[in-house]
Amino acid sequence: MTTLAQPSQPLQSRASRQRELWRRLKKTWPGYLFISPAGLLITVFSYVAIIFSLYISFHQYDIISEARPFEGLENYARALNDKLVRISFRNTFVYVAVIVPSITVISLLLAVLGNQVRRGRALFRTIFFIPTITPIVVTSMLWVWLYEPTGGINRLLQMINIEGPNWLFDPSTALPAIMIMTIWGAVGYYMIIFLAGLAEIPEVFYEAAKVDGAGRWHTFWKITIPLLRNSLIFAFVTLTIAAFQVFTQAFIMTQGGPMNSTQTVQMVVYHYAFQRFQMGYASAISWLLFGVIFFFSALQLKLFMSRELY
Amino acid sequence: MARTLSSPGSGVKERDKKLLLAATRRSFTIIVYALLIALAFSMIFPYLWMLANSFKSRTDFFTNPYSVIPMPPTLSTYYDALTIGRMGVYLGNSILYAAAVLVVQLFIDSLAAYSFARVEFPGRETLFLAVLATLMLPGSVTLIPTFLIAHGLGLTNTFTGVVLPGFAGAFGIFLLRQFFLNIPRELEDAARIDGSGFFGTYWRIMLPLAKPAMVTLGVFIFLNEWSSFVWPLIILSDWKKYPVTVGIALFRDVNQINWPAVFAGSTIVSFPIVILFIIAQEYIIGGISLSGLKG
Repeated sequence: MTTLAQPSQPLQSRASRQRELWRRLKKTWPGYLFISPAGLLITVFSYVAIIFSLYISFHQYDIISEARPFEGLENYARALNDKLVRISFRNTFVYVAVIVPSITVISLLLAVLGNQVRRGRALFRTIFFIPTITPIVVTSMLWVWLYEPTGGINRLLQMINIEGPNWLFDPSTALPAIMIMTIWGAVGYYMIIFLAGLAEIPEVFYEAAKVDGAGRWHTFWKITIPLLRNSLIFAFVTLTIAAFQVFTQAFIMTQGGPMNSTQTVQMVVYHYAFQRFQMGYASAISWLLFGVIFFFSALQLKLFMSRELY
Repeated sequence: MARTLSSPGSGVKERDKKLLLAATRRSFTIIVYALLIALAFSMIFPYLWMLANSFKSRTDFFTNPYSVIPMPPTLSTYYDALTIGRMGVYLGNSILYAAAVLVVQLFIDSLAAYSFARVEFPGRETLFLAVLATLMLPGSVTLIPTFLIAHGLGLTNTFTGVVLPGFAGAFGIFLLRQFFLNIPRELEDAARIDGSGFFGTYWRIMLPLAKPAMVTLGVFIFLNEWSSFVWPLIILSDWKKYPVTVGIALFRDVNQINWPAVFAGSTIVSFPIVILFIIAQEYIIGGISLSGLKG
């Protein structure tokens, strides 16, 4: 046992090496045991899943037929020429380009403004948070009702003498309608993120700005924004990743219509995978989406990290 | 006014300036309040209507859909939703799914988190990174293979199929590990000397100490599972196993939407969440704040 500390010792017998291994295993096996349930689940449902997904994206694959021929890049080529896929990517890009900056700016303003009022701060925070914790199925249903031709939204518009459109049944307003609802539902969540970020900014910065005679606007741009950098990056990146995968709102409110104006990529993936059972083709589309998400996340992180803000 | 006065009136000038400043500050505050109140109303009213409409009779709903007070209030919509709308069945399923995922995931996550925080074994850091890396995977890519794996295991349209993929969560492991790392080691060493094994130390010492983190994570797991829609929609084909979220969406599926039933159903789904939010608001907000700061 005394020679164990020197691994290069040639005279060390096989038995003692085994004993050493056994001793180490005896100390460490609870570690492996404790992580094994989580490890098994994560391995199967994340790692095996993603490799499997890549594999079937190169095959013609459905659940029913046993023949699953290899097709190479056929599925990907088909996706690039699929009109439905193109429309869905265009809609999704528009959706992401509108809601990500909107939610970031509005929730940031809400956090900054909410921080300035003295009374009712906690109450506002609670109220803005309600849409965030309600299941998206419920909020989507509520908004279907609000968007009816003579529903709440149009009644409100009528008060200021605007004739509202038939929101969810007009191809030009259906996607904006979904975006408005999503923005409405998400600002409360990101407001909390920004409030936490604001609480981390030391008060001395603001005091110093006041002494220097800096105005509200100036203070906001020169102190608040640069010091909220981490929260801003987090909000922007997580929002982008989530927005690219939008599904439930479109599924419930419009089912992709009218005239495919609200088809999102995830809707199309669902359509091919679970309505037409073309799992291989649908997986290829989901990999194209993954590629886009990866590209934009990496781009954002690179831009944010390289720019020296303070 | 102050402008017409020359040098001796500088005191007046100064006072005017102060008044002007106070006035702009006050009007700023008023604008901010007006904005916040308007937004708050927009966030509350849909839910108020949902609640009010769920207590309206059919005729009352069709004549005054936007009144906030049901005349007269009735429980008939709830009765319809629970019986004809099968809300009772869906609700029971949702409770079952949420409870199972809550209990099992808390156990599995905390066990793994404790191990990653305190037990030393070769490859620990690498394995932990492998767990964290899965947080980056978009659910969009894993959805189809997860379904096919569940299908291969014979789990489609089963209770186990709904809950199994939710039994472990990388976010939970990360959150709890952070917490375990901050617990002083002396407490464990004392337990170890008293003869507790690995599991005993985890179960009797670490878990009780990690209560705040467990509650935070538990609230998130529950909210997630309660709201989950896409996965049960895909894996289940029998309405008897649907959770409420899928059940409500079914009301939409038919051409004619049964709005009163939708409102009653939505109120039923939202009720446990409202209660949870009232009880655990600090935990929820604390948890979200934490995720933002860490990111």
